[in-house]
Amino acid sequence: MVRSALGRPGNALDRGPKKLARFIPAWSVAVASCLCMLPIVIQVGWFPDFGFLLLLAWRLLRGDVIPAWWAASLGLFNDLVTGGPIGLSVAIWTGAMILLDLLDRRTMWRDYWVEWGLAALLIFIHDAARWQIDGLMGAHSSFSTVVPSVVIAILVFPLAAWAASRIDRWRLGR
Amino acid sequence: MAPPTSARPGWSRRAQYSLFFSFLAAVAGLLVGLFLLALSLVAPNSYAAVRGAALDLTAPVTGALREGTTTIGGLFSGAGDYWDAANQNAKLKAERSAMQREILQARAIQQENRQLKAALQLREKTQQAVASGRIVGSSFQSQRRFAVISAGSGDGVVPGMPVRAADGLIGRVVDAGGTASRVLLISDQANIVPARLLRTGVAVISTGRGDGTVDVRPLEVGRNPFRPGDVIVTSGTGGLYPPHVPIARVVRLDDDGAIAIPLADPANVSFAIVEHPFEEAALAEPPETAETP
Repeated sequence: MVRSALGRPGNALDRGPKKLARFIPAWSVAVASCLCMLPIVIQVGWFPDFGFLLLLAWRLLRGDVIPAWWAASLGLFNDLVTGGPIGLSVAIWTGAMILLDLLDRRTMWRDYWVEWGLAALLIFIHDAARWQIDGLMGAHSSFSTVVPSVVIAILVFPLAAWAASRIDRWRLGR
Repeated sequence: MAPPTSARPGWSRRAQYSLFFSFLAAVAGLLVGLFLLALSLVAPNSYAAVRGAALDLTAPVTGALREGTTTIGGLFSGAGDYWDAANQNAKLKAERSAMQREILQARAIQQENRQLKAALQLREKTQQAVASGRIVGSSFQSQRRFAVISAGSGDGVVPGMPVRAADGLIGRVVDAGGTASRVLLISDQANIVPARLLRTGVAVISTGRGDGTVDVRPLEVGRNPFRPGDVIVTSGTGGLYPPHVPIARVVRLDDDGAIAIPLADPANVSFAIVEHPFEEAALAEPPETAETP
């Protein structure tokens, strides 16, 4: 009787970390990058960079699941899939990870609002840098064209944070 | 939760070293990224093969998904069409008779035009399509306006070729993979199209604004030549885009120009047609090969 109670699927005692649990966060970021393959044809580019949002969410949720230097290869993958200028995500994503590592030593405490603020700051830097590079590549525009996508990305970030925490629970079998 | 006061992971040398080396690796990754970015700014063509290959891998996925969404969308719009069929029928009949009258007029004008051109000994190459493909995706995450079409170098598409639809101009090819290519839309800020006003023939320049509209300005400073509703067509100057392809319709005037909406909406056109550049020399070729006959 005891044995059958243990063997029931979904039992708390059976559950444990998934195989390859170490790599699931990085995989999920790569999958989020692939969302740009959705067949959406629109005239304004206001969708957020899903890969970057999920990377930030993972980094703020757990500091050690995605080593900073993995961000370089994830960024290269993102550049190739989205068709952006190659090297842009590599530099920005890795730079964001290093910046967060440095900020971790300075911040006295962490709560939900501090994390959202940090994410908002990094999203702003990300979009401003991309706007600069677009200008250098010949697509000059006023900064006001970037503002909607920055606002949308900042508002969508909690969704990415929620997704990261759900994947984390699933990955660790909790 | 209070963070650790120092970055030391403990007394383990191994842990300290691995933390330090991962920091070094991250800095190296940052430097590599900056180098790649500088290379893509200075020599964008150096990634052509890699970008084309990535496009070949991603475009089929987008294409298959697009197939599904258009089928579902078609079911809904098809059902909607049946809903109002009698009204639509009457409206279409009226439109058809109006159009037939216009076609007769146009035929007469075409004939006259042919005679006049023959009299002037004007020779014009007829435009032949290189390939046609469906628009499967777009750059919906970035301010740059790109679309992905399902025709690539296997069909003869080369970067630089103009792309149009039945309704009007779409843009030009920037990356070509084997089975798919990426198109710089006319609404992108980097796409400048020499054009003219259809009503008066005034030469204008059309530049994308990045939000689905284009900015049109006259070449000569002076009175604003635009009126709402004006149609802008390509002028053929520069030799890339063929002349007389409709570009956009003016919707709003500003100080010395106007804002126009492209006539061919990439979201709605079913097929994009890739054409040869109007004059072959307009394709960016290395000068050595161009000058050795």
